[in-house]
Amino acid sequence: MDPAGVFAVRYAQDRALLRTRKQWLALAIFLAALALLPLVVGPRLIAVANIMLISAIVVVGLQICTGYAGQVNLGQAAFMGVGAYTAAVLAEKTGLSFLLTIPLSGVAAAGFGFVFGLSAARIKGFYLALTTIAAQFVFHFAVLNLPGSWLGGSNGATVPPATLFGYRIASDTSLYYLCLICTVIMVCGAFGIVRSRFGRAFVAVRDDDVAAGIMGINVVATKATAFLVGAFYAGVGGALWAYMLRFVAVDQFTLFNSVFFIAMIIVGGMGSVVGALIGVFVIRAIQELITTLGPELAASLPFLGGDIVFASMNVFLGGSIALFLIIEPKGLMHRWNIVKAGYRLWPFPY
Amino acid sequence: MIIDFVNYAINGALLGLLYALIAMGFVVIYRASKVFNFAQGELVVLGGFLQWWMVVSMGLPMIVGIPLAFVLAGVVGLLIERIFFARLVGESVFAMVMVTIGLLVLLRGVVLVAFGPQVRPFPIVFPLQPLVIGELMIPTNLLWGGVLTVLAAIGLSWFFNRTRTGLTMTAVAEDHQVALSMGISVKRSIAFAWILGCVLSTLGAVVFLSGKSLNFLASEIGFAALPVALLAGLESIGGLLLAGVIVGVIQGLATAYLDPLVGGAVGSVLPFAIMLLILLVRPTGLFGWRTIERV
Repeated sequence: MDPAGVFAVRYAQDRALLRTRKQWLALAIFLAALALLPLVVGPRLIAVANIMLISAIVVVGLQICTGYAGQVNLGQAAFMGVGAYTAAVLAEKTGLSFLLTIPLSGVAAAGFGFVFGLSAARIKGFYLALTTIAAQFVFHFAVLNLPGSWLGGSNGATVPPATLFGYRIASDTSLYYLCLICTVIMVCGAFGIVRSRFGRAFVAVRDDDVAAGIMGINVVATKATAFLVGAFYAGVGGALWAYMLRFVAVDQFTLFNSVFFIAMIIVGGMGSVVGALIGVFVIRAIQELITTLGPELAASLPFLGGDIVFASMNVFLGGSIALFLIIEPKGLMHRWNIVKAGYRLWPFPY
Repeated sequence: MIIDFVNYAINGALLGLLYALIAMGFVVIYRASKVFNFAQGELVVLGGFLQWWMVVSMGLPMIVGIPLAFVLAGVVGLLIERIFFARLVGESVFAMVMVTIGLLVLLRGVVLVAFGPQVRPFPIVFPLQPLVIGELMIPTNLLWGGVLTVLAAIGLSWFFNRTRTGLTMTAVAEDHQVALSMGISVKRSIAFAWILGCVLSTLGAVVFLSGKSLNFLASEIGFAALPVALLAGLESIGGLLLAGVIVGVIQGLATAYLDPLVGGAVGSVLPFAIMLLILLVRPTGLFGWRTIERV
């Protein structure tokens, strides 16, 4: 809903994502704040911000695949892993610049995702979700059983730092800017995709795939495209992950991580790019809080033992998924939209 | 040589029947609520820990402790329905399945908080010595497990296909709204599904873990049983027996003959390859229902 007094008089205005000068201003201030963040907060929080930005890319991809196209994807972490390993191998073996390896990692992951998306030709609904679990197992099996000189097997693989014109992007701050630029590009792309012809096809397939097919949408191609796009985002996120940690191992990309990503879109709100970003921020912030407070908590309550951190993370994550689905299935974004509509209409009820 | 082959095949088949027993948890919950339960493996672990708690930790004699653990498992199933699914009746099945994904991590957390990550000894329910017939060696727990699986499959098959209560639950699996409008209580059906699912998972845990060690990683059997459930088709209980034997024999022979050639782990991935193949060729499995979709 637009603020009072704002009416679209041209098609371009109707299509625009940002309708008013104030919205442009708000976005500019927000981006400036993100760009200036390293000047304000310490390196510890910047490292957290890097993880948030990378998760944001991966989760926006999952949002397109699951939130917009309705294809439950439990293999997003595996797709991310394919991207991370591609970046690691390309950077280590061929010495390509990160400007090339990051998009190529996306392409590799997209190819892997597309294969599983193609099974949509025969399979639908939750059977399709099961094949994405198979993606997770195939990824683990492949990494651990391919010759150790290729991917490093169970030892993992090291990644050389990204360099640009001789400058090493290795510190947390420089990585932050790399991640920030990538995230901005990918999120802009997501906004473009979801309001394009493809995005509308995704939504139609999500709402009813039989009806969408009758209306002339190629359902199988749409589902496969959704997986392709979602996996591309995961691959880009994975490449950044590889450059951030400078080390990739198969246990960084487990089914548990995939469930984490799903929790983020459920908490943020299905079918909304901004919702995905909110979900990433909220879940990662609470996760960070538990990790920071966990040792103190374990120290003050010794009878619980030191493993309480990981355990309580599980309880929190599973609990928040179930709680949101029961109480607010549309996520935090929906709540925020209600508040926004409320203050725009005030003092009138509608 | 030939006796080795028979040995591997028989052991594989019995292991397959164990998978079928675990997979029965998937199928029962699906048959009575239309929900695919991603948390099956965690239910097995929970059942295992309940047994450990009753028999080892509390020190109850096995004849009392084991039935008590089954009762507790049923209570857990009822609690899961009351806390989560009773509030979701009328919502989309999608939301319910997403809740089971939440349960997957929630139950793991609960098990870790309640019982810790340590490896625990599981009570020896079935004798450890294998049964020896000529040159055949058959593990006793798997043999008993196979017998129990067959009995459970026959009983549940009869229940779901022949009794009035079972048929009303089948209607719930067909469509929640239609079932509600026919006067069938979807809520009660889902409660029954989860109680039965939890009890079957506990039975699976007893067979699987008897005399072994137990920690939260045992939940992997849940996903290992997935190919069996899909090969049979998620709606068929009797079909699980055949599907379990097929997957088990293939896995047993692959582990015995292919693993040494390529260096391991083929046996554990092959079922997933079979699963993908089945889904592509015959998405409803061998005995699943063919659904007709209307707009």
